[in-house]
Amino acid sequence: MANLTVWLPNGDTRTIAFEGEPRLSDLLAGLDGAPQLVCGGAGVCGKCSVAAEGMLEPPPEGGACLACRTRVCGDAAVYLTGGRRLQGIETGGVMPPYVHRPAAGRYGAALDIGTTTVALRLIDLAENRTLCTLAAANPQAALAADVIGRMEAALSGHGAVLQRMIRSLADELLSAACGQCGISPEQVGARVVTGNTTMLYLFTGRNPKALSAAPFEADCLFGMEEQGVYYPPCLGAFVGADVACAVLASGMTATHATSMLIDLGTNGEIALWHNGTLYCCATAAGPAFEGGGISCGSASVEGAIDRVTYAGGGLAVHVIGDGEARSVCGSGLIDAAAALLESGGIDETGAAEEDALLLTPTVALTPRDIRQLQLAKAAIAAGMQALSQEAGVSLGQIETLYIAGGFGRHLPLESAAAIGLIPTALAKRTVILGNAALSGASLLLLDREAEGALGAISDRAVCRNLATSPRFTDAFMERMMLEPVDDWA
Amino acid sequence: MAVLQEISEQLQRGKAKLVKELVQQAIDEGIPAKQILEEGLLSGMGVIGVKFKNNEVFVPEVLVAARAMNMGVQVLKPHLQESGVQAKGRVCIGTVKGDLHDIGKNLVKLMMEGKGLEVIDLGTDVAPETFIRTAVEQDCGVICCSALLTTTMSAIGDVVKAAEEAGIRDKVSIMIGGAPVTQAFCDQIGADVYTPDAATAADAAAELCK
Repeated sequence: MANLTVWLPNGDTRTIAFEGEPRLSDLLAGLDGAPQLVCGGAGVCGKCSVAAEGMLEPPPEGGACLACRTRVCGDAAVYLTGGRRLQGIETGGVMPPYVHRPAAGRYGAALDIGTTTVALRLIDLAENRTLCTLAAANPQAALAADVIGRMEAALSGHGAVLQRMIRSLADELLSAACGQCGISPEQVGARVVTGNTTMLYLFTGRNPKALSAAPFEADCLFGMEEQGVYYPPCLGAFVGADVACAVLASGMTATHATSMLIDLGTNGEIALWHNGTLYCCATAAGPAFEGGGISCGSASVEGAIDRVTYAGGGLAVHVIGDGEARSVCGSGLIDAAAALLESGGIDETGAAEEDALLLTPTVALTPRDIRQLQLAKAAIAAGMQALSQEAGVSLGQIETLYIAGGFGRHLPLESAAAIGLIPTALAKRTVILGNAALSGASLLLLDREAEGALGAISDRAVCRNLATSPRFTDAFMERMMLEPVDDWA
Repeated sequence: MAVLQEISEQLQRGKAKLVKELVQQAIDEGIPAKQILEEGLLSGMGVIGVKFKNNEVFVPEVLVAARAMNMGVQVLKPHLQESGVQAKGRVCIGTVKGDLHDIGKNLVKLMMEGKGLEVIDLGTDVAPETFIRTAVEQDCGVICCSALLTTTMSAIGDVVKAAEEAGIRDKVSIMIGGAPVTQAFCDQIGADVYTPDAATAADAAAELCK
């Protein structure tokens, strides 16, 4: 028996006794400030680097080691400095016109549980305004980065831990938001919790077994109140209440025009409104758009390159915070690929000329990063194409493309079209919604009648499973190319 | 023949348009269709297969090369039919019942096509009866089963059983693969061949079809 001493972000220490030679990341899982295994513990992303000393194998280099690759062989100490950060996020987010018919009580809260990010909005219902919006990383990522991993963790007996993690973050976000606005959480009456289907299962302590194997039919699609919280309806096992809320916020189903909505995240969800039917699908884009799996990738934080242009024979970058460039976020990655195509650094097949594609003297993409981007963009573009073809909708028929999701807010449309993430014609007819799931959930609090509209959305939704569609397989291969898409041939 | 070498190289780079032009050029030069297929297209895809096995290239490169091969084959197809070139063998492939993962399965299919085999893709969530019926009706020499989940892996055993019950076990080989699958599992359920990656699977299938 040996001990691992953990220094927590708040200065406390915790001693964990263990036997054998466990992985450091396993011992840390669930603790405040535990490193996230963005690449799933493959040892490639470097995001779980922690300061550590003691009996570790391999021994720390320069005082740090990768938690996912390090075994603890005896007494050791590790220092978790990161901690849980609550960030204020842009309160923007497009809302359709609505009538102010609020839920009962003075204050309400809307929570959107994403696989990667959790956001809470505190609303003054009587005054019809947002008081504040806070976001934080989903702490469940310490156990597994993606939805499949979370389900596997829940099925192997960690369901209660996952539920505790997300519940405690939700409470923390609510207290912090209330604290900022000088009210107490008890004053918050009406609550709406949205998110993808798996996240709602885990939040409510349901067993996600039905979501994890064919025929992938959810045994609960929510659309109900439970213990004083309203959960909007999920549209299917892979298309959650967050998509239903985003569709509500876009107002797309309130018109007869054919339109499409994409939620750009780790799971790319796509909804296509055509002739009174809402065709839906999900496509596994992976974490590249959020900087995951990219050698120098990060979320859109200070020091991240968020814009890249090619001009005058060289690359020019913009860095968030205007300081020194340290990483590349999703929008910067898409921009960089478009700029590199123009400069000849890469070609349309994704092949790179050099082993290091320098964006600045200190930040470079690798050929592998470009491949990761290709996989992500092909999944989204092929999903759009296959879903449209299944619904018999041509590119020209789609009048508006709505982009939802936190990352989508910063999507550089011109570059997205240049690399073929979205068809050129649609890029010109695109509306950026911001965190539309949260807007939709807020709408439910501000207009009691919106619940009826949401019900109509879920009644008209038809989920398609792309995995069984040969159309998707063909499109996935075709859309692997980094070139503009003029039509879906 | 320089043009065949050029086809192979451009195919490896995924330059589909060039591959198409070069295949047409080779036809115009009077090179037999079978030779263009084998020494140009399939040889290029073979190189990609080996590189993929050795982790030198990844899924996007394979798909981009396969796309170029498809385009080349399209140009070549009428000429292949004219000269009566036959596929080297017929294989049916699918992901087993309860499992919807198909990226690995699709790669295996591409690699097998790259070996000149005709591959019938049954898709995902395939019932044992479908494997058996296809193998019988379409005269397949090999059934390939894939599973990505430990929870669905046991369904591979059902395919082996179904083949035994249908009395076709001596006519058809059963190949298995997927992340959780191992040689020990293969032995346990009485399948014929386990391969750890797509390129090895294609080699094994070509061998079985000889």
